[in-house]
Amino acid sequence: MKSDLRRNWVKVISISVALVLTGFIIALLLLVVTHPDPAAVVESLMSKEIQFAIYLSLVTSIISTLLCVLIAVPAAYALARYDFWGKSFVSTILDLPLALPPLVAGVGLLLFFGTTPIGDFLESIGIVFVFTPLGIIIAQFFVNMPFMLRIMRSTFTDISPRYEYVACTLGCTNLQAIWRVTIPMAVNGFLAGAVITWAKGIGEFGAALMIAGATRMKTETLPISLFLNMSCGELEMAISAAIILMVISLVSLYVFEYFGGSAKF
Amino acid sequence: MLTIEHISKDLGEFILDDVSLRVEDGEYFVIIGPTGAGKTILLETIAGVYPPDSGTVVLDGRDVTFVPPRERNITMVYQDYMLFPHLTVEENIGFGLKNRKLPPDEIAQKVRDVAEIFGIGHLLHRYPNTLSGGEQQRAAISRAIVLEPSILLLDEPLSALDGQTRERLRIELKRLHATYKTTIIHITHNFEEVFSLASRVAVMHQGKIMQVGTSDEVFRHPNSEFIAEFVGVQNIFRGTCMVTDGLSEITVKGTDGPHLICSSLCAGNTDVTATIRPEDIMVSCTRVESTARNSFAGTITDVADNGSMVRIAVDTGLPFIAAVTRQGWYSLGAEIGDTVYLTVMAQSVHIF
Repeated sequence: MKSDLRRNWVKVISISVALVLTGFIIALLLLVVTHPDPAAVVESLMSKEIQFAIYLSLVTSIISTLLCVLIAVPAAYALARYDFWGKSFVSTILDLPLALPPLVAGVGLLLFFGTTPIGDFLESIGIVFVFTPLGIIIAQFFVNMPFMLRIMRSTFTDISPRYEYVACTLGCTNLQAIWRVTIPMAVNGFLAGAVITWAKGIGEFGAALMIAGATRMKTETLPISLFLNMSCGELEMAISAAIILMVISLVSLYVFEYFGGSAKF
Repeated sequence: MLTIEHISKDLGEFILDDVSLRVEDGEYFVIIGPTGAGKTILLETIAGVYPPDSGTVVLDGRDVTFVPPRERNITMVYQDYMLFPHLTVEENIGFGLKNRKLPPDEIAQKVRDVAEIFGIGHLLHRYPNTLSGGEQQRAAISRAIVLEPSILLLDEPLSALDGQTRERLRIELKRLHATYKTTIIHITHNFEEVFSLASRVAVMHQGKIMQVGTSDEVFRHPNSEFIAEFVGVQNIFRGTCMVTDGLSEITVKGTDGPHLICSSLCAGNTDVTATIRPEDIMVSCTRVESTARNSFAGTITDVADNGSMVRIAVDTGLPFIAAVTRQGWYSLGAEIGDTVYLTVMAQSVHIF
């Protein structure tokens, strides 16, 4: 074949691959939405069970996101601003839950809260994680904390510490400088991180399954509901849970991108 | 008065190595040095951004070495402005006053006043990223000066600006210093800023202060080879100094044997480095009869026109660079290859 400057085969092939992949994803999403009878889906959405799953998912994911913010923001700040002994080790370990299969994380959590003196102590004062919604929260927190951490870390790294230096010469304490200058400047990263952490939290399945179990109307979040209903053939119920999860992930991804999240992750 | 004694700080990439310095009240003190000399950490240590590893910082008789920045009344302006992007210009300038818990109407008044002085009164409601570089730097300087600090630290405040804006802001800084009488420490690598602003200048290199003095002292009498090279002294000769018959002469090895250069500063029988500033060399077509001890004949090997000055390279057996005004060069009427005479006063030959 004669080469021709107007025919760039690398361009044609690589774009085709991207298009096929895009088509595949859209096809899957459309299938989920169009497969069941719409009336049945609406009915399932109105059912007590799905309503409970929505409620439980929202409560657990919001609480676990707040926990992630509370813990990840100071940790991310430390990693962005200070040098300390063992920093690279700490940094690697904090990212580990990203690569760890959630099921393994779940087993670890189950052992920690079920068999150690710390777990026993918490249980004795009435804080029970095993097979309760609290377990879902801790599972979501554990698995998704690295998202918040990574995004906040790169957000803080991108903000010159000199803003804080200037704020300090203008009369701020260290903490005031962070609160009045760095945090407002970090607001986009903060929102991007919170949204992706929340969306991942809503979808969390494996770790939550291990520690909190899959009990109808007790630890039944949307993904657990999807799993339970699928396994006993309640396709409409399963798919209505799937549709909600799909909508949440699409909206979250949009918000995440809007705040420049992918550049920070 | 600010007194820094034996300050050392190791930040890995940048260091301060036993820096001692004294800045008088009301002085415009300029610190000049190449990139990486440690100028910015010196300023940041004065501001109290980090504690020094050793040494003391004393401000107006009070040891402030470990006092946090907010209790020092020293403010700082960086090259890239560091205006808080989420606050308006007005809120930026008023930031420090608000921290001092001044009543809102007093803050507003002070902010308006200082903004008027810097000609940014009409920009107060705007956000920093909608401003030009010059306007942003005016806002940053306003924010620092409105607190009436005992020392204002400027870290290359003009380096990020274009030529014309830089010139205008430099004049404003001079006016600001004359009006407020604030002690200013200004970092730069630009020589014009030294000549037009500095009461005194310090040269920094590799975390050390190499020389402190008036700009004239430092530029005319550099105390080390580094400074001579850095401040642009071109004629650097190494030789042995000898005093014979009351005359101080330096023997320098040239391409055609030893040359003698007289210097009134040379004090006998040591290895020295002699420097002569290019503009201290007189160039003529005939030998000049004068009291000057140094007169050399040489051939012009190169001519470079730098705009206002013309630099002439002359080979007398030693490589000399002389600088003459453009007019001087044309009235000389010489060309490359011609023989000219160089005349240098003995006191223009600096020794270190």
